[in-house]
Amino acid sequence: MESQTLTKAELDSVAQQKVQKLREVFADAPQIAKTALANLSQELTAHLSEPRSRMESAGRTGSRQGKVSELTLILTFAPGGARRLRALLQAQNGNFDGADKVGTLHDMRFVFLENDTKLLFATAYDGDWDAYIDDFATKIPDPMDAAFSAFEGWPGIANVQETKDWIAQHQVTAEGWYVASPDLTVAQTRKLEKVGKAVEEFLDQVG
Amino acid sequence: MASETMTRSDTEEAALAERFRKLHELYADAPEVGRVGLDKIIGDLKERVSGQQRATSAGRAGLRIGKVSELTLIADIKPAGARRMRALLDALGGNFQAADKVGTLHDMRFVFLENDTKVLFCTAYDGEWDPYIDDFATKIPDEMDVVFCNVEGWPGIRSPQIKDWIISKQHTADGWYVALPNQTVAKGRRLEKVGKAVDEFLDAVG
Repeated sequence: MESQTLTKAELDSVAQQKVQKLREVFADAPQIAKTALANLSQELTAHLSEPRSRMESAGRTGSRQGKVSELTLILTFAPGGARRLRALLQAQNGNFDGADKVGTLHDMRFVFLENDTKLLFATAYDGDWDAYIDDFATKIPDPMDAAFSAFEGWPGIANVQETKDWIAQHQVTAEGWYVASPDLTVAQTRKLEKVGKAVEEFLDQVG
Repeated sequence: MASETMTRSDTEEAALAERFRKLHELYADAPEVGRVGLDKIIGDLKERVSGQQRATSAGRAGLRIGKVSELTLIADIKPAGARRMRALLDALGGNFQAADKVGTLHDMRFVFLENDTKVLFCTAYDGEWDPYIDDFATKIPDEMDVVFCNVEGWPGIRSPQIKDWIISKQHTADGWYVALPNQTVAKGRRLEKVGKAVDEFLDAVG
């Protein structure tokens, strides 16, 4: 069987073609962009022929880089919903310790948009979409209902299937997704923090 | 050592109590699942929420928890700008690897909104807003210009107006959670190496 792996020369050639195509698309871009692209051409070709990892799908929706995925929701508030959610967030005073229970959540933001008519909810999490939504539904169902009942059409987390459809419907998949350490899950980082501490203690003792 | 809840002052207590009272009142006409959800969590919230706001400002805009801050930016895309941005992201395989050079960037996303007329740019990063923007400007200026020249009003990364432009498009979050708030990107990378070294060491002695 013929090898499916491209040779280095073939990869370089593909990368060069991509950069050439980019130059064409950027032909009518502002001058600063064309200059910047020219400055970057060599580096881009090198990156493209040896990518560290490619963006993949996180499952039903969303993108993933290595082990870390993104979820981006744009939601419309129900009447009175924005006031309730803001009061709930203010009452928490920045304390989202409950979210630790999900175990796979790296970061999460709530951003009010368009005069409090919409909300951006964005998270970075480990693994696949389906399992992640299940984690929210089984580990923190009450905080989810308290917060998400602020939005039009929230079916209630107890209706897991409907909730998944609702989330997928409001999710917008990122077309660019970068993660500094794509192989580090939250669980692994917690473990490594302990290992790091143990190593320091060990070195202190032998030193 | 006294716990957070033990150190609440009387004024903090009163402010918290007032906040929870208002919260209850607002939820009176919430959908059933929301009202029930709040009833179930409010006891726990009252117990663990401190009178001290945990999130701080990341600087000019954005929230910060521990060492990790958020930046959320929404900008209008120029005509044909979406086509160029998408071609660029597509050529990169969605992987903006040059961002490694920034050194303080945890994660970053580009999301096209409203029929490609807007782009949402979200990042999680270490430290303060001002040096973070400086890092972008000094470490990956060309990358920034190639991407953001496609949005309306971009002054160019080397422009003295750049920070004011970013501020005018940035939306500070009302809620920001980070699982490992003391874990910087640099520390994460070091831990990965330590982990690998320990594994090799254990393999060697085992």
